[in-house]
Amino acid sequence: MLLSLSQWIQSIGFLAAIRESALVYPVIMTTHLSCIAIFGGMILMTDMRLLGLALTKYTVTEVVTGLRPWKRVGFVIMVAMGLLLGGAEAEKYYHIPYFWIKMTFLALVGVHALIFRPAVYNKTEEIDKAPMIPARAKAAAVLSLVIWTGVLTMGRLIGYYEGNKSGDAPVAELRVK
Amino acid sequence: MFLAETNPLNSSALVFPVLECLHIAGWALSVGTIALVDFRLLGVGLRKQTAAEIAKDLAPWTLIGLALILLSGPLLFSSDPDMYYLNRSFQFKMVCFVLAVLFNYTIHRKVVRSGASAGAGVAVACVSLLLWVGVVFGGIYIAFV
Repeated sequence: MLLSLSQWIQSIGFLAAIRESALVYPVIMTTHLSCIAIFGGMILMTDMRLLGLALTKYTVTEVVTGLRPWKRVGFVIMVAMGLLLGGAEAEKYYHIPYFWIKMTFLALVGVHALIFRPAVYNKTEEIDKAPMIPARAKAAAVLSLVIWTGVLTMGRLIGYYEGNKSGDAPVAELRVK
Repeated sequence: MFLAETNPLNSSALVFPVLECLHIAGWALSVGTIALVDFRLLGVGLRKQTAAEIAKDLAPWTLIGLALILLSGPLLFSSDPDMYYLNRSFQFKMVCFVLAVLFNYTIHRKVVRSGASAGAGVAVACVSLLLWVGVVFGGIYIAFV
């Protein structure tokens, strides 16, 4: 069912046009990656602040609330571009295990937010007042770094996947560049 | 010195993608931190501090990111030097990259530190962001030419 859905998605006119275009596809990918720099860089600096490693002159509140709207903008553009890239080649991605691992990591990003937003990111003033950065804030930062590194790595590996030709269950094979 | 056939990088299928991940992580770190300064120049983001303060605090992280890029980049290049050297998109990327780094450590830094007029700040931020987007476009387009 997912397979036929992916075939239907990528047959949509403008998505097929993206796939076949020589310039639009790389431009969308550039936007996707530029947002990774901006959005990813901000996440990295927020996590480093929670760990007490960077921007220690700023309060956690300043870093979290100051960057939040821009993370949102970056996230929305990044996801929109990702949907276009994925939609344009939905059937291909359906067969790539790295794609599904990446989606799993992205689901974990949601779980992370559900757990740590109320416990850490919405309680930054409490963290600023505490004599030491609480363990749950550091746990949130470390887990965030791990999950996003996973998203990045799997995203990159998608480009290296070559399915096995026999048509059996997908086997991860990397091509030597 | 760098021959694609004898390069140990090409003996394992995993080395290239792992290096590429480091390359992209370095890019997120260096350009992400530069972008925070640029956003401040544009009047958004971390607004309580001046652009000069933000730039000073982020400078070591930008450098670490650049170091990651400069360590992984030449290694990636060495996997197939002839292809990269002749690739128009790669050439474009290198021009943008050199300009972006030069700009960042000269005019950009000067304007940020002096706290010059808002107009100058906006102009410098736009040039900086455009150059970095040029770098990533050139990098991605290597595979399309």
